[in-house]
Amino acid sequence: MKHAVLDRSFPIDPAGLLPPVTSDNAPFWNGLARGRLMLQQCPSCRKLRYPVAPVCAVCGSTEIAWAEMSGRGKVFSWVRYHRSYLPEFADRLPYVVALVELDEGVRLFGCLVDREPDPFIDQPVKLVIERWPNGRCVASFTSAGVEQ
Amino acid sequence: MRAAAAITGAGSTGVGSHAERTSISLASEAVSLALADAGLSRREIDGLIVHIGAPRGADYDETAALLGLKVRFASQTWSHGRFGATVIQHAAMAVSCGLADRVLCLGAYKNSNLGLIGSRASWGFEESLRFGGGPHGETPHAGFNGPVASAAFAARRYFHKYGTSPDKLAAVPLAFRKHAMLNSEARIRKPLTRDDYLGAAFIVEPLRLLDCSVVVDGAVALIVTSAERAKDAPSRPVFLLGAQGVHAGPEEFIFGQPGLGVGQASVFDWESPGANQTVYRMAGLAPADVDVLQVYDAFSPLVLLSLERLGFCGAGEAVDFVQDGRIELGGEIPVNTSGGMLSEGHLNGWSQMMEIVRQLRHQAGARQVPDAKVAQWGTALGDSIIFGNSDV
Repeated sequence: MKHAVLDRSFPIDPAGLLPPVTSDNAPFWNGLARGRLMLQQCPSCRKLRYPVAPVCAVCGSTEIAWAEMSGRGKVFSWVRYHRSYLPEFADRLPYVVALVELDEGVRLFGCLVDREPDPFIDQPVKLVIERWPNGRCVASFTSAGVEQ
Repeated sequence: MRAAAAITGAGSTGVGSHAERTSISLASEAVSLALADAGLSRREIDGLIVHIGAPRGADYDETAALLGLKVRFASQTWSHGRFGATVIQHAAMAVSCGLADRVLCLGAYKNSNLGLIGSRASWGFEESLRFGGGPHGETPHAGFNGPVASAAFAARRYFHKYGTSPDKLAAVPLAFRKHAMLNSEARIRKPLTRDDYLGAAFIVEPLRLLDCSVVVDGAVALIVTSAERAKDAPSRPVFLLGAQGVHAGPEEFIFGQPGLGVGQASVFDWESPGANQTVYRMAGLAPADVDVLQVYDAFSPLVLLSLERLGFCGAGEAVDFVQDGRIELGGEIPVNTSGGMLSEGHLNGWSQMMEIVRQLRHQAGARQVPDAKVAQWGTALGDSIIFGNSDV
């Protein structure tokens, strides 16, 4: 399932906020750049593995495979920043960060890009892929266009 | 480990903003005080464990060299607050196993020159770039940095799960401020009202300014030896009666609670293990036997999580438990009697360890818990130590 990719601008270069791309996590980042949310899935027991890990915490398998997620989920918890910790985000204050539980069960921290309404726990949301100035893409979320 | 080891010397610089001093100078002051308290000379110290090294404090090698310590057992933990009690546990193990006879445990570092914790300029930013989240779940590319947000995510979920009002959290900082007002060393001693708390700005909603601890500089040194040797000590020894370590793994989130589901942890109806956990079994004690409790209160919700994890109340009950003075001096279980990190100052638990020594020696002045015999340290992450002023 291909998701929309939106360009995002920043007051200063935000490249320093991105985790390095490694041989372990490259399929995740490459997936976002192609408009898809890919997570590791254990080929043995089907358990999703997040963060990217060399071994399945359930069955112990060291085999690695990747699977595409729907991008649908709900807000598990959320916070609203009123104070600037990162100058890259200073122009967005106050802004919301959500812990989103995907329909598939994994939880991701991501920006909730909507300025309103207030989020709430169990609010249905969907993935929005944001493309940063250096071309890297990150997973954010929105409630817009999702049946509430 | 029960009563195998004891603290025989304790020294503290007090907490404050020592912008003009180096961390090694703070360390030196605390170590000299601890040595004098224990009646030991420098050359009698043969073990050293440093909690927080560079860039906040001096690393173990620098500490040993600059303080003139010649040790045969040295160790150092990660530069995060969570391993303070682990340092003391390791010291007890070292003296029990014969790796050293007298181990100096040191928490000595500065925060005042590191900028806003969680900002790009502050120590440890690189750790937040771990894939899947930093040591507190930090995800900078989502605008999530700083441990306060981690506590806020957990608090929001906690209040949702148990159906309580976040405003009731006020009882925690209010209680500890009352204690700080009885402590001349506390960083903030101004009276605090519920209106002050509710009127303070949100930092990371739902947490407000007064839910956040006060950043300080300082040093505390504790000398751990065997219980046998401790009996000859000039100052009253404080015995380690029980301990349990930091819990870790996929089911643990630094500021969460089992079953709360923050990060990737499972969601389930967790029940507090009460007295059925290692620290109590080892000590042969239960929460009801504890006279003074010190918990890791970097952010006020951690106090709720700690009280439940340590079995002072059941899951979801802490927000009511902390009301009506129950955690204040004179209450059911006095908590953070020197003001805690929220008011005395955040020295990652070291000033609270000093407070435990003072309480068990009955040297805590106006904030002394009458006839305190048993004191406990604990965190939301499950680590704990129970101390007693006798070994029985």
